[in-house]
Amino acid sequence: MTRPERRAVGRFLMALAGFSALLAALPRSGPLFARLFPQLDRPLYVQQPFLDLVLAHLWLVATASLLATVVGVAAGIFVTRPSGREFRRLVETLSAMGQTFPPVAVLALAVPMIGFGFWPAFLALALYGLLPICENTIAGLEGVPPAAREAGLGIGMTRRQLLRKVELPLAAPVILAGIRISVTIGIGTAALASTVGAVSLGSPMIVGLNGNNIGYVLQGALLVGGLAIVIDLGFEAILTRLRRWTA
Amino acid sequence: MIEFRNITKTFNAVTVIEGLNLIVERGEFCVLIGPSGSGKSTILRMINRLIEHSAGEIRFAGEPIRSFAPEVLRRRIGYAIQSVGLFPHWTVEANIATVPRLLGWDAARIEARIAELMALLGLDAARFRTAYPHQLSGGQQQRVGVARALAADPDVLLMDEPFGALDPITRDSLQAEMRRIHAETGKTIVFVTHDMDEALRLASRVVILDKGRIVQSATPRELLHAPANDFVREFLGKDDYGLKLLSVETAGAHMRREDSGAVAEAVREQDSLRLALSHMVALKTDRLGVEDSTGRRVGLLLLADIVT
Ligand SMILES: Nc1ncnc2c1ncn2[C@@H]1O[C@H](COP(=O)(O)OP(=O)(O)O)[C@@H](O)[C@H]1O
Ligand SMILES: [Mg+2]
Repeated sequence: MTRPERRAVGRFLMALAGFSALLAALPRSGPLFARLFPQLDRPLYVQQPFLDLVLAHLWLVATASLLATVVGVAAGIFVTRPSGREFRRLVETLSAMGQTFPPVAVLALAVPMIGFGFWPAFLALALYGLLPICENTIAGLEGVPPAAREAGLGIGMTRRQLLRKVELPLAAPVILAGIRISVTIGIGTAALASTVGAVSLGSPMIVGLNGNNIGYVLQGALLVGGLAIVIDLGFEAILTRLRRWTA
Repeated sequence: MIEFRNITKTFNAVTVIEGLNLIVERGEFCVLIGPSGSGKSTILRMINRLIEHSAGEIRFAGEPIRSFAPEVLRRRIGYAIQSVGLFPHWTVEANIATVPRLLGWDAARIEARIAELMALLGLDAARFRTAYPHQLSGGQQQRVGVARALAADPDVLLMDEPFGALDPITRDSLQAEMRRIHAETGKTIVFVTHDMDEALRLASRVVILDKGRIVQSATPRELLHAPANDFVREFLGKDDYGLKLLSVETAGAHMRREDSGAVAEAVREQDSLRLALSHMVALKTDRLGVEDSTGRRVGLLLLADIVT
């Protein structure tokens, strides 16, 4: 590992350790919240273990982002091939539309169609995460130096080999930056998923907002924020490794 | 080795190459030269099917090029371009190993080939093997580009203005390397340039193009002594025409086989008369010794012998 890589990994591990400490401390922090908010009868959210909420939240974001990544990258590759060039406008418009819909609206529309729970939340997140990934895939592939492409073909790579060995690796940092944006937004947005009955870190926040319990809201928000930081630094570490060959 | 039979190329109904007939023999260093837009790159890129010809037939090693899958054809034909196009995310050794890997060579053979090519191109393996392209100068990048083009020992090497973007000193040394590599490997080379001095220096045959047609195809000497028309004469230039004449003559061919022990300075047999003249002017002398490649004195060169 190079020095910047070690540093980036170090920052990620520190954030992870901090987040784990927070997660371990929170179930024991009843007395603290009781002192902070003396007006509350039950200052600590105990309906579900915080660890379960974190895992459910992560699972929701991870699966939705995986779908968004597969679809977004595939679409980005397709419209930058000679055979798919004419679909580029269409794909860009569609994914931009996915982004313009506020996630709440997608959730509200999805519920009557597929009911409450995990799936409407999954769908809203995946749709919402598509645009940055698709756009960055296109930008990344278009940023490949034309000379590298010409040389690759000229010395005997097939189009498929060129894509796999040259174009995708060169575009990877840009594509990953898109996935990072998408996931980071997703971690925040997934909190809203609890409004349609999915379990996430939004659950204590929604219960807290309904029952006027600021302690619950704070506990949910702390974990969402911490999680976002950990994931973001994780991406940063991978990106530093991917950019090793740049000036 | 390569044969164009009545080749025509049209781009969207615009004819760019018309009725081209050209045979490049095995071992030739064939330089295509002409003004910008005269079709040099198009001709070169038709050979490896980066551009498909519209009519006629191109043969490679006796077979029509369309009887090969494009990537199979291209792996037998090296390709180096002005913009080099190294893969920025790969080290120097990985770049050089591209085609051998595509061809499935075993690791030991690839290793040995990388070392051999870096030595051939004058690249210090200890320093550059694991360097990334952005850590190299323009000249070093092009050396790696040429090494990559030669990696799988192709039958033919295509080069499109490979040294056009380099400073004069670097260009000069790479031209010298190309002459040496051509002499050592006997490769068939098709080389595009718009620089007449470069063409005269490198070519065993110069093909002059204008508007997609061959104006003259000749050795550098024939070209200088018998330009086909005014276009060629124009292209050869007026001011330093005499120097160009000297650049295609060697000291060895014009020296006297006399003892030159009394003369301190010397040139080599294969050096051009242009270089010899330059040395004489610089040293303010009218005579130079001539030595062979081992440094042994073999003759004497007088100023009068250069001029007459
Ligand atoms: N892909 C292309 N589409 C249309 N015209 C082209 C294309 N490539 C080259 N041409 C035209 O063909 C002519 C010859 O181009 P080229 O072979 O690149 O010339 P040179 O290398 O001698 O400068 C030019 O007029 C150029 O505009
Ligand atoms: Mg050209």
